[in-house]
Amino acid sequence: MPARNQQQWKEVPGQLKPGEYVDSRIYSDKKIFEEELVKIWKNVWVPVCHESELDKPYDFRTVTISREPVIVVRGTDNQVRAFLNVCPHRGNMIENRPSGSFENGTPSGAPKHMTCMFHAWQFDMKGNCVHISRSKEGYQDRLDCKDVGLRRLRCEVKYGGFVWVTLNDKIEHSVEEWAQGSFDCMQKALDAEPLEVFHYHKAIIPCNYKLWHDTNSEFYHDYLHYHNRITGFNDSYFARQNKVFDNGHVNVGSFEVQYDNYEGFESREELSFPHLPANHWEMIDLFPGMNFNLRGSALRVDLMTPLGPDKVMIEYRGLGLKSDTPEERLTRQRHHNSIWGPFGRNLHEDLIAVSTQQSTMNEWADERRILHGRYEGETIHDEVGMRHFYDEWGKWMDRWPGDPELSYDEGLKKAA
Amino acid sequence: MKMDNIESLISKTIYKASLYLDEFRWDEWLELCDKDFYYSIQAFSPEIDKNMIYLDGTYDQMKSMTEMLPKHNTDRSPLSRHTVVYTIDVDHDKGTADSVSSLAVYQTQLDGINSHVLAGESNLFMVGKYRDKFILNNGKPKFIERITQLDTRRLDKGSHWPI
Repeated sequence: MPARNQQQWKEVPGQLKPGEYVDSRIYSDKKIFEEELVKIWKNVWVPVCHESELDKPYDFRTVTISREPVIVVRGTDNQVRAFLNVCPHRGNMIENRPSGSFENGTPSGAPKHMTCMFHAWQFDMKGNCVHISRSKEGYQDRLDCKDVGLRRLRCEVKYGGFVWVTLNDKIEHSVEEWAQGSFDCMQKALDAEPLEVFHYHKAIIPCNYKLWHDTNSEFYHDYLHYHNRITGFNDSYFARQNKVFDNGHVNVGSFEVQYDNYEGFESREELSFPHLPANHWEMIDLFPGMNFNLRGSALRVDLMTPLGPDKVMIEYRGLGLKSDTPEERLTRQRHHNSIWGPFGRNLHEDLIAVSTQQSTMNEWADERRILHGRYEGETIHDEVGMRHFYDEWGKWMDRWPGDPELSYDEGLKKAA
Repeated sequence: MKMDNIESLISKTIYKASLYLDEFRWDEWLELCDKDFYYSIQAFSPEIDKNMIYLDGTYDQMKSMTEMLPKHNTDRSPLSRHTVVYTIDVDHDKGTADSVSSLAVYQTQLDGINSHVLAGESNLFMVGKYRDKFILNNGKPKFIERITQLDTRRLDKGSHWPI
């Protein structure tokens, strides 16, 4: 077909049906983005960090969920707990560092306490307020420590030691119930022995968070990656199955990667994760924006923090076995970063693609259709993962992804 | 050879390396390196309290990596290395030298995200240090090791290229 005029450009191409495309405004509209934070991100479990980042009692990590500052601490009972990182006095952020320990004192506070540096209010590792400076003089009997504990958050350590936190106190399900079986493909590998983070880097990318999630869940884009073409693109690659789960989660099925087809790369067989067949590759895409990616010898976990309709922070973690020798760790690190590090062969390519994708659908651009209509028996280039994600997204948002001005039910009726 | 001559040759080698890397002259860069050369890009993460190796390789691995660059999609925006040699310590008995250089890398957008808008714009890409080791053969320095130690840890799109 020749190039299309403006009217033809706006029509649904070919015989594609509703549900097989989305409207580009869901990637650029500010109102939709604000709704997503409130309706989705404040109500789901988020794997904010790994337990190895808080190895000892009094260790902490600070993170953000849906613009809310969160602090995760390990207590003297070895339990990991999460709180809003906000002082109940005048709303100051209690801890500013990305990580550290409360074992030693700070300029404003005593050892073994979380101390707000502003007015030196102190809290223990369970979030109890234990000291208000000049309390009696200022508050008499009107307010004391028992009234001003930190805001605790629901927190679970699950699936290879990840620390899952939600802002929703009333969430109805555990992390396992939320996952709906999507971790079955790699749970034995993750839980066979303790894991440890060896790699962390973050990227702030000018794209909507869903575009990154799309890229993790569709493999048709392997044409972008020389590495994946040369180490895959055989019969077993094209037979990889996508599998969908309730709550919008998806598995991308495994196959044996031929790493040594890429010059300078080697088989990952010797350092395969426990229970993972040699050189295999399992992937879990969790709604609304997390990814567990186990490639032979290394686990990569992506966590997205949406910052705006066209801005996302992606944190990349690489994990190996805590029992690794230094030599094994070095090799695992090399395997991980040669593909997925900030100088790796694939990650740079993926990040260029989503950035340029977003640049065509900014808030000033005409809306357009983004196609998710490939059917190949739910194998690797079938776009069932994205269709499944956007159906779930539509339910949470009560918007029809193909026309976000319609409610989900209105869209369904129109589609019927 | 006089000490100041050796130091001068080492400085010139570091600056030449910056120029070759800026201009994608990978083979000429590797000609400045010994066959036992080891390269790495490292950074310390306060988030996980660990030193990380983002990229590393031997002479042969860096050679094959740079030879395969044309097969990869990449951001073609060139990087310019601003290098200042801070220290050179020569060990005459061992025939080796260590050097520390300050490094700032600027990126000038070429294709980037939207070349119509962005091409021509320069931004700071990263800062860090080169920690180099040299072997001196007949007074001629060759890189035996380069650790590119980054202070910058938010690399956004990252890069395919050695720094």
